[in-house]
Amino acid sequence: MFDKDHLEERIDEIYKRYYLDVYRFLVCFSGSQNDAEDLTQEVFIRILHNLSNIHHISNIKTWIFSIAKHVAVDHYRKKRFSSLFADGFFRQMASTEKEPNEFMEQSETKQLVRAAIAKLKPHYRAVVILRGINECSIKETAEILQCSEAKVKVDYHRALKELRKKLKMDMKEVMGNAN
Amino acid sequence: MQTDKDLFDLMKEAYPLNPREDFVSVTSDQLRRAARKLERNRNMKRLSFAAASIAICAMAISWLLFYGGEDLIASKFKMLEEGKMSSSINKAEPSVYIYQSHNLESFLPETQVNDPSEAFHQTKNITLVGQRLSESLKKRGIQSIHDQTDIAAILKEKGLPFSKAYAVARESLLAALKSHPSVKMILDIHRDSKKRSDTTININGKDYPRIEIIVSRSSDHYEENYKFAKRLHDQLEAKYPGLSRGVTVKDDGPNHYNQDVLGRSLLLQIGGVENTLKEEYRTADALAEVLGDILKEEEAK
Repeated sequence: MFDKDHLEERIDEIYKRYYLDVYRFLVCFSGSQNDAEDLTQEVFIRILHNLSNIHHISNIKTWIFSIAKHVAVDHYRKKRFSSLFADGFFRQMASTEKEPNEFMEQSETKQLVRAAIAKLKPHYRAVVILRGINECSIKETAEILQCSEAKVKVDYHRALKELRKKLKMDMKEVMGNAN
Repeated sequence: MQTDKDLFDLMKEAYPLNPREDFVSVTSDQLRRAARKLERNRNMKRLSFAAASIAICAMAISWLLFYGGEDLIASKFKMLEEGKMSSSINKAEPSVYIYQSHNLESFLPETQVNDPSEAFHQTKNITLVGQRLSESLKKRGIQSIHDQTDIAAILKEKGLPFSKAYAVARESLLAALKSHPSVKMILDIHRDSKKRSDTTININGKDYPRIEIIVSRSSDHYEENYKFAKRLHDQLEAKYPGLSRGVTVKDDGPNHYNQDVLGRSLLLQIGGVENTLKEEYRTADALAEVLGDILKEEEAK
């Protein structure tokens, strides 16, 4: 009764501060804007419900990312095979204002990058996105994924190596086709 | 595509890195609504809990005020305070007050001594007989207050002579009467010092310690007490012939045996120093039966 707007204020503040981080993580992880938006909502609803139960959160940033990661992995399991080409991708294409040729080339590269990311196993994907897109430190990443910092370092390098290999291969293929 | 940074830049370009604006505001509103709802539910829970507490309090208070719970609480507290009173704790009000002015009076077979003047015991004493009478009355649906004050200990502590026992017993008696106006009968339980042959009678093959009813003539309630003593004697005679040794009127008595406090106050000598506790209990049960009859007859009137 005395702290009537407490919860509302808290969740609003947390949302404003972290929605972009969460969304970016999810859009890279899922490869779809629509899915990422839905999942972002789910993440913050989960945060809200846990906020009223948990009194002490030691590190809110890593806590939020770990929730986001759980939501993402759950989603990944649900639609393991159908997230390669999502509608968000085509919508994004439609709004670009580039010359057809250039555009095709551009979008083809994007498509390749997305496909390569989507092929990474979820743990590698999470490490790459957290480190590369969300700019989390090694320590934070380890906290979020609940593993050691050493494992984060190793997985990060392996994931990038794998990603590069895939991209190089695919690029060559595309070039070859173009010629 | 050489460095990690190049790779990340490529990744950043590959995805729409900002959600739609309307999505951001819609989600914000949605969260606020959900938070309000959650808060409301929580307040409802808190409110219903408070309401339930208030209802329970109200019930307890009304019970105290309207259904006489007050006396129960008072008697409970009294018990805690003194630790000596085992009063009736049922809904019904106590109608009998039982005490033992000479609380250490005991029995030769129980104390393993031969000298009647030494037949006193800290635990195996006349108080147990009063206790048995109280319990036996309770079984018959009659509530009583059994005072277990160790009067001998108080006398010793205050350096008072044995004859002051009645004066000491009077204090608890007056206090109990004040908090229990329902009491209409007071019994001071003693045992005689006479020989076994004088204090025992065999009824239907069982030895019963006999009862002597003593009334003080000097008390203000002498007449009422005497009348009641006679009635008790008559009814005992009717059910257990010979159990009562009759009514003895003493011209005086220390403190009038406290029989000036209330009409229908009696001093009862149940058995003598040579009886056993087992026998004493037998008479206590018989006495309870007759007292119960008397009280029920009165209720019926």
